[in-house]
Amino acid sequence: MLLQAAFIQDQSTAFIDVEGNTLTYKELSDFSKVFFKQINKRTLIFIFSENTFGSVAGYIATLESKIVPLLLHAGTEKSLRDALIAQYQPEYFWLPESMATEFKYDVVFSALGYVLLKSDIQPPILHDDLSLLLPTSGSTGSPKLVRHSYQNIEANAQNVGKVFDICTKDRALAVLPMYYTMGLSVITSYLYGGATILLFNGSLTDAGFWKFLKEQKTTILTGVPYSFEILSKLRFTRMDLPDLKIISQGGGKLSANLFNDFADYAERTGKKFIATYGQTEGTARMAYLPPEFAQTKIGSIGKAIPNGKLYLIDDNGNEISEANVPGEMVYSGPNVTLGYAYTSDDLQKGDERQQVLPTGDIAVKDQDGFFYIVGRISRFLKLYGIRIGLDEVEQLIFKEFGVENICTGTDEKMKIYVTDEAILTEVASFVIQKTGLYHQSFEVLFIPTIPRNDVGKIIYNFD
Amino acid sequence: MSVLENYNTVFSSVFNVDVSVLSDDFSSTSVDNWDSITQLSLVTAMEDAFDIMLDPEDILNFKSYAVGKEIVAKYGVTF
Repeated sequence: MLLQAAFIQDQSTAFIDVEGNTLTYKELSDFSKVFFKQINKRTLIFIFSENTFGSVAGYIATLESKIVPLLLHAGTEKSLRDALIAQYQPEYFWLPESMATEFKYDVVFSALGYVLLKSDIQPPILHDDLSLLLPTSGSTGSPKLVRHSYQNIEANAQNVGKVFDICTKDRALAVLPMYYTMGLSVITSYLYGGATILLFNGSLTDAGFWKFLKEQKTTILTGVPYSFEILSKLRFTRMDLPDLKIISQGGGKLSANLFNDFADYAERTGKKFIATYGQTEGTARMAYLPPEFAQTKIGSIGKAIPNGKLYLIDDNGNEISEANVPGEMVYSGPNVTLGYAYTSDDLQKGDERQQVLPTGDIAVKDQDGFFYIVGRISRFLKLYGIRIGLDEVEQLIFKEFGVENICTGTDEKMKIYVTDEAILTEVASFVIQKTGLYHQSFEVLFIPTIPRNDVGKIIYNFD
Repeated sequence: MSVLENYNTVFSSVFNVDVSVLSDDFSSTSVDNWDSITQLSLVTAMEDAFDIMLDPEDILNFKSYAVGKEIVAKYGVTF
């Protein structure tokens, strides 16, 4: 479904890695067939992903042959990993060779630095429409997954293709991790469009990254707000990058300063700066700001992507028609995912959303129809581009310490209030261990009692 | 605070470690959470601590405790 016949036929290059190795569309297609032969049925597989050939080839092979993957970070902490396995019961695992010894299952196949393990687990029943599972939170190890359909993936690939005007000459740099919805969207949409994807398994501060970007003549670079802070620090806007055509941003709100700087840079150098908005629940992307408005609609997420619709509703669920009135933003379109899964039984479920997704974000629409995010209903933060569910962190801490706590804060810093003064440092170490968060991105504070209102509901904005 | 103390304090607060674990072996290959987030925090904190502004290539090369000292020294900071 991702590999188009035309690109298989003309032997186009699909991926290039940092050592200059290549993988063609034809090779991916052949690999997919071989991969399917090892498994020979529709079942559930966990892919422990990296931005490497083995990982992407496994992902593509599963989609091509209707095996359902859950994509996880290869570095997922062991106890979280085990909890997901117990919850969802995958029959197979596709993971880096170096991880194989951590599992007690037999290697039945290996290729491209990855191995296929077959477990003795009885796999769950899978709904026919189910194509892919992704975690909702970057790293809290919540068992809550997003269920994607085949239509979702195709719609994302096609419509994002229109937004970025994807063509076979494009060379897209994939540095965002592929288990992360936007990182995956870059891979999926450029692959669908027959472009070449430059796979980088590292970060923007790796010296090799800049050499790779330049030497491989990258035409599009995609980042989260944090990536743009790094770019700014490295004085990206002064670099000479004649091949680069598009700089795209997603994964949270960029500060007005950085937005301005990059919009000006694009204008000055004849490139496009495209800000986008999305969520895993909407197969990565739901809105984008056309580049010609980057300097006049600063901070706007723009309008819905092709074939989608954005609108605002008031507290009674009625659509708001006036400009500049805040309301919850709702998206509808073919990329709205089927729903969530909490247990393996949920994998039998079909479409629970019917293409309509309340985003949990509060937005306003200006008189020209451009949307601006002004707040959030849902209880999560985006710390360094990673979505962290606050309720999930609370539960993790409660389970471990049995102490009442509440998590609040902003996208700059999460605040964890615990009701036992003696365990503050232990809680901090525990949160780092479980989530991999940077210690300066949150703080643990003491609170004598959990603030509640008259009806006993927790007050989160007390500070 | 001496220059070295200042330098050590930056490392210890960015990596959340005790000063005693700092040595020339402390580097991006030996430290687990030395990633783009800590790297950027580290160079930003160094710039603030010594009132200097690092060039992009020095930011990218700032990958160990030992190399960091040489880089900072290039900007007129003497240990």
